[in-house]
Amino acid sequence: MTALQRPTQATAVVVPAFDPGGGSEPTVVAAGLTKLFGSREVVSDLSLHVSTGRAFGLLGPNGAGKTTTVRLLTGLLTPTRGEVTLFGETLTRSNADALRARIGVQTDTSLYESLSVRDNLRFWGELHGLATPTIERRTGEVLDVLGLSDRVDSLVGELSKGMRQKLSVGRAVLHEPDLLFLDEPTAGLDPEASADLIDYLHEMIRTLHTTVIICTHQLQGLEALCDDIGILKNGSLIVVGEVRQLLHRRWPEQRYLLTVDGDLAVAEQTVASVVGGPVEIADGNLRFCVTQEESISLVVAALVRNELQIRAVIPQQPTIQDLYFDTINNGTTP
Amino acid sequence: MINRQRVWAVMRKDWRELARNKQAVAPLVIIPLMLAVLLPAAIIILGNNAVLASSINGLQGFLDHLPDRVVPATYSTAQTVVYAVIVYFMAPFFLIIPVMVASITGSSSFVGEKERRTIEGLLYTPITDRELVLAKVLVSVIPSVLLSWVSFVVYTVLVNALGAPLMGGLFFPTWTWAILIVALVPLLAFLATCLIVAMSGRSTTVQDAQGSAVLIILPVVALVVGQATGLLLFDVSIALLASAALLVIDVAVFAATAGRFQRERIITRL
Repeated sequence: MTALQRPTQATAVVVPAFDPGGGSEPTVVAAGLTKLFGSREVVSDLSLHVSTGRAFGLLGPNGAGKTTTVRLLTGLLTPTRGEVTLFGETLTRSNADALRARIGVQTDTSLYESLSVRDNLRFWGELHGLATPTIERRTGEVLDVLGLSDRVDSLVGELSKGMRQKLSVGRAVLHEPDLLFLDEPTAGLDPEASADLIDYLHEMIRTLHTTVIICTHQLQGLEALCDDIGILKNGSLIVVGEVRQLLHRRWPEQRYLLTVDGDLAVAEQTVASVVGGPVEIADGNLRFCVTQEESISLVVAALVRNELQIRAVIPQQPTIQDLYFDTINNGTTP
Repeated sequence: MINRQRVWAVMRKDWRELARNKQAVAPLVIIPLMLAVLLPAAIIILGNNAVLASSINGLQGFLDHLPDRVVPATYSTAQTVVYAVIVYFMAPFFLIIPVMVASITGSSSFVGEKERRTIEGLLYTPITDRELVLAKVLVSVIPSVLLSWVSFVVYTVLVNALGAPLMGGLFFPTWTWAILIVALVPLLAFLATCLIVAMSGRSTTVQDAQGSAVLIILPVVALVVGQATGLLLFDVSIALLASAALLVIDVAVFAATAGRFQRERIITRL
């Protein structure tokens, strides 16, 4: 496959109102989405905008409304209020089936255990209208990427949990969908398999411009995959936007860890004189913040002038996990 | 517009799963075997044995109420018993085969998907509600009808082979049976499957669905009882009337089932 440029730019950060586009091509637009089951509001006035070729992380604790949101975005549920637009078309009961042909969904739902790996993928390919040679080619490609080539004729019931997890992702991407929903895609996978899967998803996004929406609780390392995130709490999207912007908005100063040889007190004074803020000494290291990234070269120059040997200057970037807990536990929004 | 590839894909997948489910396959073999082989063989071999008549519940009553016109006048008492039982008494029993098979396959293929949590994945695909209902109905109707027809062929060969010496030649099938097998069996299998699919929205386990499916068998059991007590003799006119009524009911029930089937209803009751 030929590597292609990402076709669109970042989604604008709006908390939590609806972004009408921001100049980029939207694959998914939800506007004022509300779903009631009886009198219980499961999703409340949810608006989001996911641009083509972006990976969007839909995060939130259990019962926050992630599954219902995915069902609303794929037309399995009809919203009580609001509307969904997919690929530029308003999602209705009459066009939902046709639009789903361009969507792949991996959920925690089961595969057909009494059928082989090949039969499971063949069935999915047929449902998505693929011709037999295409199904065979894609089955080979997908199983190769997922490391399941030698299990093609095994019954799914005989596979390990991790293998089934890989296969459920393989089933969702078999028809090379334009929009891919993943529910805990790396759950149960070993670190190597997890890294391989993330690489594969990156490749899909890069070459096919696939838009990916990931529901997950596994927040560590999510920055490697997600361009944008939304955090759901009690059915409401309380944070939504581009990861870097959200983190910068919440923690505008950049944190650094500095290790030097020599007098720590002199080093502390030197750094403080440049950054103009507090410098903390911890475990033989200095911790400090800068508002501008350029300041770090000034810090280094000052330390060198004072004949202090620098062993390491390590940026301490806040993560999605930091933002998630800050938002969920403290109710803070960037 | 129905997409045949998708309908066929679901059907083929379901049959593969069914073939590997021994719990579902066992009754599909045992029930037709009992009704098409064991019961008629016992009746023919034992002839007009009084013990036999009294041991099959309702058979004596059926023989007592049998009108004269339905059995050829030239038949002896032994021939009359065998002819009446093979041709008339067994007819409604044969209708149990498609209903039972449809109940088992329908429950397994549709509610089984809910029970095994595979239905949600299926609902995320482009298959339409109508295609899914049609596929699930055909998955049950086709084996029900085929199994009934195979049973009928076996029954025909068996009763003629065993009964020919007593009856003085081939005596089966009759016109009533032709209508029963060609029209009533498929119509009844279709109705039973549609009702199971319609009820599947409420059922969450296969046992639950099969429990509900028993309700569908009740009218057929009523027919057997009616036959046995002589209230309703299953002849050509009754078979034609029942076929016409079933056709109307089938169309109405399928339209209602396909119309009422909604992803939202299924997904929110998983």
